[in-house]
Formats: sequence, structure tokens, C-alpha cells
Amino acid sequence: MKISLNWLKQYIDLNDLTTKDIVDKLTMSGLEVEDIVDENELYKNFIVAEVKSVSKHPNADKLSVCEVFDGKETLQVICGAPNVAPGQKVVFAPIGTLIPNGNFQIKKAKIRGVESNGMICAEDELLLSEDHSGIMVLNSTLQAGKPITEALNLNDVIFEIAVTPNRPDALSHVGVARDLSAIFNRDLHLPEIVLKESKIKANEIASVEIKDQKNCPRYSAKVVLNVQIKESPEWLKNRLAKIGLRPINNVVDVTNFILHELGQPLHAFDLDLLEGKKIIVKSTEQEKEFVTLDSKVRKLPQNTLMICDAKREVAIAGIMGGENSEINPSTKNILIESAYFNPSSIRRTSKALQLSTDSSYRFERGADPSITKYAAERAAQLISELAGGEVAEGIIDVYPKIIERKEISLRYSRVTKILGYEISKEKIHQILSRLGLALKDLDDNSLLVSVPTFRPDIEREIDLIEEIARINGYDNIPVVPKINITLEKKVDQQKFEDDVRNIISSFGFYEMINNPLESEWEAGLTGNPIFLANPQSAEMSCLRTSLLGGGLNSVKRNLNYGIRNMMLFEIGNVFERKSDLLINSFDDISEKQNLILILSGKEEEKTWYSDEKYFDFYSLKGYVNSFTQKISLDNLLTDLYYSSENEIYSYYFTKNFNNQLVGVGGKVKKDVLSKFDINQDVFVFEFDLSALKKITPDVKKYIEPLKFPKIIRDFALIFDRSVQYLDVKNFILERASKLLKKVELFDIFENETLGSNKKSMAFTLEYFDESRTLTEDEVEKDFNYLISEISKKFNAKLRG
Amino acid sequence: MLDEIINQIQNEFEKDINEADSLKKLEEIRIKYLARNGSVTLLFDKLKETSKEEKPILGKKLNELRNSVTEKFNSKKEELEKSETASKEFIDLTLPGKTVKLGSKHILTQTLEEIKQIFKSMGFSVFEGPELESDYYNFEALNFPADHPARDMQDTFFINEKFLLRTHTSPVQIRVMESMQPPVRAIMPGRVYRNEAINARSYCTFQQVEGLYVDTDVTFAELKGTLVSFAKQFYGSSLKYRFRPSFFPFTEPSAEMDITCFICNGKGCRICKNSGWLEILGCGMVDPNVFKYVNYDSEKYIGYAFGMGIERITLLKYGINDIRLFFENDLRFLKQF
Ligand SMILES: [Zn+2]
Repeated sequence: MKISLNWLKQYIDLNDLTTKDIVDKLTMSGLEVEDIVDENELYKNFIVAEVKSVSKHPNADKLSVCEVFDGKETLQVICGAPNVAPGQKVVFAPIGTLIPNGNFQIKKAKIRGVESNGMICAEDELLLSEDHSGIMVLNSTLQAGKPITEALNLNDVIFEIAVTPNRPDALSHVGVARDLSAIFNRDLHLPEIVLKESKIKANEIASVEIKDQKNCPRYSAKVVLNVQIKESPEWLKNRLAKIGLRPINNVVDVTNFILHELGQPLHAFDLDLLEGKKIIVKSTEQEKEFVTLDSKVRKLPQNTLMICDAKREVAIAGIMGGENSEINPSTKNILIESAYFNPSSIRRTSKALQLSTDSSYRFERGADPSITKYAAERAAQLISELAGGEVAEGIIDVYPKIIERKEISLRYSRVTKILGYEISKEKIHQILSRLGLALKDLDDNSLLVSVPTFRPDIEREIDLIEEIARINGYDNIPVVPKINITLEKKVDQQKFEDDVRNIISSFGFYEMINNPLESEWEAGLTGNPIFLANPQSAEMSCLRTSLLGGGLNSVKRNLNYGIRNMMLFEIGNVFERKSDLLINSFDDISEKQNLILILSGKEEEKTWYSDEKYFDFYSLKGYVNSFTQKISLDNLLTDLYYSSENEIYSYYFTKNFNNQLVGVGGKVKKDVLSKFDINQDVFVFEFDLSALKKITPDVKKYIEPLKFPKIIRDFALIFDRSVQYLDVKNFILERASKLLKKVELFDIFENETLGSNKKSMAFTLEYFDESRTLTEDEVEKDFNYLISEISKKFNAKLRG
Repeated sequence: MLDEIINQIQNEFEKDINEADSLKKLEEIRIKYLARNGSVTLLFDKLKETSKEEKPILGKKLNELRNSVTEKFNSKKEELEKSETASKEFIDLTLPGKTVKLGSKHILTQTLEEIKQIFKSMGFSVFEGPELESDYYNFEALNFPADHPARDMQDTFFINEKFLLRTHTSPVQIRVMESMQPPVRAIMPGRVYRNEAINARSYCTFQQVEGLYVDTDVTFAELKGTLVSFAKQFYGSSLKYRFRPSFFPFTEPSAEMDITCFICNGKGCRICKNSGWLEILGCGMVDPNVFKYVNYDSEKYIGYAFGMGIERITLLKYGINDIRLFFENDLRFLKQF
């Protein structure tokens, strides 16, 4: 919201304060000033100048060489505007001037070989409008050399204030002035109304009926007859222009002026266009179309609150007037609407129509039901001053059920209790009264406060405490130097995931964070996705069902950046709907936390000490198993292997706890990768971290180091290629004596000398006993027995 | 005759030891003269064959020989050891070291961990809640009435009329208070979603840390003390700050905390929109209406709450100019932290 400092000064004396004082205090009391335009600063070097002569630029068709008189001397200036002509008074930027639009400085320059000593400005360059069709031509009576801050009244300071949604009262100049009156403890002056009314009674000319009293609790109307619609005077146009409004005509400008002065939205109807000179406020019974005064056709939903005349709709209540009844150049008689509408009704309609106006913005936040009469009278007074005409006597004011002021009691002790410091009673009284609140029934401990209707946000004691705190300044609240900590058990629900991050990153993985919003096909790859009702785009229309899509997109991006080797991981929530039925409770969806590991490219680069090596399935399996070991779940989880493909993987394995799947991963299929434009192998494993978190890990126990020597035996056997390592290992463990403690594969290879479809696997066997030294003989016996058993079982032969 | 042999061995040894130019050759010399079958050692066997009279004399001579040979051998060995490591076995210490895989946690995770650590040291627990939330927890129980413009403060992704993606971590406040009685002192980190255009300054999802303390004697002054302590630990003890009134439906009074812009040191720049201040968090005293929803007695209990965005804090702290970098997962970015 734009606020003009000069305008503010109409209601409060601020002349002794600097702009900085005012801005700082406003911000520090809750009306945050986001931007300041100080015109005196912005336009300080610009002056009025007179164009003495114009001739063609010798080297450029579209440029002119002008002689410009700046009040002291005549300067040569190059100008590109088509409308420049001798005798004009123009805005001139001398050398050194900073141009507001684009923030560049005017320098002495040669333009196509001809010297130029300044610039003649267009409106857009001064940020006065977006017009760049030609230079600004000023009133010819202005004197050359005069600063434009004086000549054009560019001596205001405009604040851009961010008003929070709880403060509808501050959405006007008087509202801001009221806060300033509390902050600086000085008087607020509201405009006095002096009305000269005619003998014709308003309620004999027009009438108002409210059919929907819930959504329109009050409707006041003033009638002004025989007005003359014309341009507004300079002062009014200037007021509106400063806050970014385009002047339209004297009547409409007055209604806009009052909206920004008092915060009360008004609407002026051409009374003669109101059928039956009657206003009826009611809600639509069915959907229908309506043309608003911006000539747009609006589709009104059922139950839209409308202003109607005897026959038809004439305005969307509180939002925008209709084309059929708007003020036009031949308007003679007007009806000024000053009403109070139900905030949520206006908000619903504004949302449904996707139409937000200065008026709807105020009504939906809560206007002041008590101000309607005053605002209508103020408008009538200004209109009669500016447009002639006579104000009909009296006001039509339909207000069936008066909205009363709230009364709240405030305990001084509660102020201290909440804020942690004491504010004097006198100060509390001063702040509340300056804010327009009435103090009643004071005693030593508390007071009763009557809250005006322009503060719908103040409903409880705590709201009063906030008013006191903010006006007295949050800076005055002390900063405690110490706190008390209770000794109850602390909880950290994120400890597990933090531990997991530490483990995985210590393996050399880099953590990713991907957008959980994905396209339907991405999310659909791994589950039954949940759709957003209002997505930004098709690419972000679903919640991810796994971390795979995000991970593969990150792989793709890195490949695009020329990075081919990666170890990535992510921890994040994934979402699925449990059925295709409507999502009606938390039981219809699942949200859990997953962990994904991604390997792609080279595990080892070619270096001076080693050859390059690519990631493969066993790299993945190694990391996965190291991880489960680190979180002490390795003995609790079982692996299942799948050498044929599924929808995602060419081959894969799973981790399971009590037959429940807790992780899956393997080599990602080529056709999946090609959807992500990935042209190299990717190995992925995804854990259900929420499930892992619930498993109680193995308790770590100390095992005494072995005191007796181990006996090691190696063997290599030639097997059929189809024999699996794990089957051999399990067979050995099953057949061996209790003295065999460990079986390790240390070599595996295939070549022609072994025979076709054959492979050699070499194992190391480790024998020991915790309580004695073994003899060579007993080991030899078991070892020989095992070799013969394996040979028989797997049809294997000892390697020669 | 033995004298002759001794002289001969002595001379031969002198020659050999002078010619020895490597530890390898020296080892050959040791074997030739001093090992169990070396010529010097073998001479001692001859001692048995000598007469009683000659034995002491010869013994003395042999000992002298062995001592002299051993001494020369040792000094040569020392000499060669010194020179060999220096010259013969040349080692290029400037070769690159072997690669160790580093890995790292995302910079946002690191920032969050730092924040968690500070609050945990002040006695806060850590709680979590779902990202897919109900309207009740995300808005209603936090005192956002239906049809209220306060809802416009947070552009929301809806699943349907009842469910949405949480727009802040504040719903976890409600869940925590529903699950326990005061005192409650907790932070609640997590991902939130906003239906905002994706550009350098905003993204459709980010992480927040919510904080909540409810007890019988909680004051705004303690809220200030706690957050100032946090900010000084996180940003540095020389930091300047201010608390500015603001509005959140679930706190009353509400505030935003600003710190001096560390890009321009408070002079005003593009990042701080020329104000000299950077907003780092929102906070306030828990609104009594919120206590109603969780059945806490708002006369007995007072609370404060705060919330901050991790991305924003991280952008500011590291001078990162584009929020999208956090979600690209470009390894050239990830490896910097
Ligand atoms: Zn700055």
C-alpha cells in the first residue's frame, strides 16, 4: 500500500520529524515500510528548460540538435523525441543527473559525432508514467531554471507499507496517521464535515432495501443532484497520482480519495440509471453473467452478493460496479454507496471471480461498519465542492442490527506476565487511547477497554497486550540472560536419519535434495501417486512415490554438466495412495521416509597408481551391506536375489526383515534410463528408512580376541558356471566340523583351459577353537572330507 | 702360517670393503667374512688345532681381526645406508596422494544440524510430523479461520478440500501438544511446500525449523533471550538484531527478527532491499486460541513459538545467489561443502 507523507500531514503534525524517524518507527511498530521514494531526492537536479531551436542531426535521421536555455545559459542537447519543438518548456536533466528509470547518470557525450550536454526527459524516464512516446511538454508559463520539484509539485515522500492481514484499520492514510499518533503521542485530526444540504430529502428520491442482512449488515447512501462531471482539480489528481492511481473524473476520484483517506470503499451510481431509483442488496439465486465497469463479462456463481436496482444487478457488492450504472460524462444525479459487507462473503466472491480490487481488499479484511455515514457525508461534501450540485438532505441508512463495540478487560499484571517487564499504567492508558480505544472502569489492577469497530482484530486481552507491546516498542522488551531447563528425558526423533547421513556420507556419497513434486510418469514408475489439486505444471503434478525419479534426474543433470562419475544419496519422504478411492483420512495414504543410494560411472579413475574401474552390482552390494552392518542390522536382514528383470531393474536384490521388504535395488534397466536421457549404467538401492528405524538392532557385545592360533586351508575347485557362490558357501558351512569358523571366496575366474561353461572358485577356510590349539591332523581330516563332499555335490574338480 | 692367512684375509677384506658401493654388495661381504661360514668365523675353528702356547697369541690376533673387520663393516654399512636412501632408491614425494573418497552431507543438512545442535544444547527435543497434512492441523488448529485473508499469506498446494502439503512446520506444534502435557520444549524441523513460482529467489519447497516452548512462566523476554542466544551462536557474537511487530495467526503478539545485513553491514544493498536489515525468522507468544485446540489451559500456560527457513539462512550465510542450486544436485556445487 502506498502512503504519501504530504497527505498524512493533513491529519497529524509531523513537521518536526525526519523521514527516517517516521519510517523507522512505523516499521518498528508493525507497519513495515518496504520502500521509500523521496521525490526531493529523486528529482533534485531536474529543472525546467526552454527549447530555443531545433535542427536536424547531420548524421542521424531520427535525432535533433536542440539549443536549450536552462535559465542561465544555452546548451546544445541531442534529442530523439519526435515531438520536440522550439518554444517548448521541458524537463531538463543537466550533466551529472541520475535518471530514476534505470538509475544511470547523464554524462557529457558525443552522439553520432555531435556534442550533447544533458537530456530532455520523457515521463517514463522520470517514473511518472510508462509513456515514452515523446518528451514531456510543460506549461509554457513555467520559468526556465526552476527545479521541477517545485514546478511539478514533486516534493512528496511515498512509503510502500506492507500491512499484515490483521490490520484492515491501517489500510488508509487516516489509519496510518492513527498509529503515528500513538507512536509519537500527538493528536489525530479527522476532517470535519460541513454540509450545505438542499431541501430535497434523500429518502424521497431514492430508497435502499437489504434482503441479505447477513452479508450486508449496513448500507448507507447519500444523494447529490445536478453535478457536473469533469476533470478533478490539480490537488486531487496529484493526491491520487502520488499513490499510483489514474485520475478519472471528479466524482470517481472523490470516491477513490476517500477509500485511501478513510479506508472506506465507496461506489457512485448514476442515479438516473438505477431503475426505480432503488437499491436492493441480495444474493444471486443462480449463476449468471454480469458486465463490470471495466467492460469485462464476469460469470457470477450462485449466492454472489449483488447490488441491484428494481430490475437488475448494478454492482458486485464490495468488489466492482457494473457498466450499466457507472458515472459517465452526462451523469447529473448520483447515489453514493457507503456500505459494510461481511468479510468472508466478499472474500469468497473475490476468490471465485479471481477479481481483487482496492475495495474487495478492504472489505475482506474487515472494514468499519460505523464509518459508513461519515464517509458518505465526506464524499457528498467533496463532490458538491468539486462538481457543483446540491446534496439532498439526510442520509439513507439501513442498519437493522447495530454491530456493537467489544468490551475487554485488561489486567496490568497479565501485561507484565506475558511480556516479562512492566509498563506503567499511564503509558498503557496513553497508548490505548491514542489508538482510539476508550478506557472505562479503571481500578488498581485492571481496566475495561471499549474497542471501536474499526479494530476487528482486537477481541481479547492478549490482543490489547500486543497493541501495548508494539507501540511501546519491542526494543524495550528485555533480553533474558538465562533460562531454566527441566531435567525430563529429551527426545530426538531425527537421530536415526542423522546417523544414517553420517554413515553414508562417510562412505564417499554426496547428499542430494530433490524436488518431491514430479510428473505423473515419474511418480507412476514406482507406485500409485497422489495428485495435487492445483499443480503449477504437469512436471510437478504428483508427489513422488520413491526417490528414484529425483535421483535419476540428478544423474542426468550431472551428465549434462560433463560429470560422469557419481555416488549420490538422498533421504526424503515418499507418498502413496493406498487405493483409488477418495483420500478422506490419513489411513488412505502412506507417507514414509526412504534412503536411496546411487552409483554411476567409474568407481576408480585411471591414476598413476591404479587402473580405472567401473561401478558394478557388487560395488552397490558392498555399500548396502556395509551400511546395514554399521547400523547393526546385518544379522537381522535377509537377502533375496533376482537375476531376471522387473519394471525398474535388469537384476536386483532385496533386503527383508521377517519376510517384510525393507529395501530393493540393482542395475537400472536401459529403457528406464533412456526415459531420463541417461546413457551409462546406474546402480540404485532404496531402503524404507521408516521400517529400518522400527527394527531393534543387535546389541553390541564384546568378544575376547582369540588366544590360540588359527589354521588356514585354501582350495580351488572347477565348477559348472551355473553354480552359485552362496550355495557352495552354505554347503561348506553345513557339512564342516564346528572348528570351521569362516569361509571366504578369494578368487573367481573363467577361461578356456577350464573347459566350456566352467569357472574356478577359490576359497579360504579358517579353523580355530576359542579354548585350545588345534592339531594339523584334525583340520586336515575335515578339510579333505569337505573337498570330496563339495566335489560330489557340485560335480566339481580340484584345479590341477 | 696362520699369520699369513690373517694378513691375506685382512687385505682381501680391505679391498672388498673399499669396493663395496651398495648394501647388496655389503651383504655379500658379510656372508664372505662374518657369517657362520665366513672366512673370519672359520679361522676361529683353526684355534682348536693350535698348541696351548700359541693359542692366546693367535686368539688375540683373531679377535683383533674380527673387531677390525666388524668395525669397518659397520661404518661402511652406516655410510651406505645414508647415501642409498638419498640417491640410489629415488622417490618422488611430489606425486599426488592416492584418492580418498570424501562424500558430504548437503549444505542444507549441515545448516540444519548446526541449528539443531544449538537448540538441543538449550534443552529442546526434536520432533517430526507429516508433510502431507490435513487442513485442520495446517490451518484450522493454528487459528487460520476459513475464508480469512491470513490464508493468502501462504500459497498452498492442495490434495483435496481436506488435505494439503503443509505450508509450514507449525502443524507439528499441534501434534506435539496433543501428545503431551507442558512443559514442552521442542524444535520441529521439516520440509514445507508453497505454491510459488520457481526462480532464483523462491522455490516450491523448502525446509523450516519450528520451535515451541510452553510452561507456566514463559515470557516474551525469554523468547528474545533464547533467539538472540541462537543468532549469536549461529551468526557470530557481534551480531546486531531487532525484533519487529508482525502477524501470524497462531501467535499473539507476533514478531519478526532481523539481523544487520552482513553483505552491506547495514548500509543498504540489493539483498536487504536497502533497509540494512535481513529478516531471519518469525516468532511470537502462542495465541490462546491455539491452546484451546489442544486443551491446554491458556490462563495457566504461556508459550512462545518461532520458525525459520533453512534455505534462506543458508543463502545468506554462504552468499549463494540462486535458491535453485540447492535442488539441482550438481556435484560441482555439492562438493564445495
Ligand atoms: Zn544489505
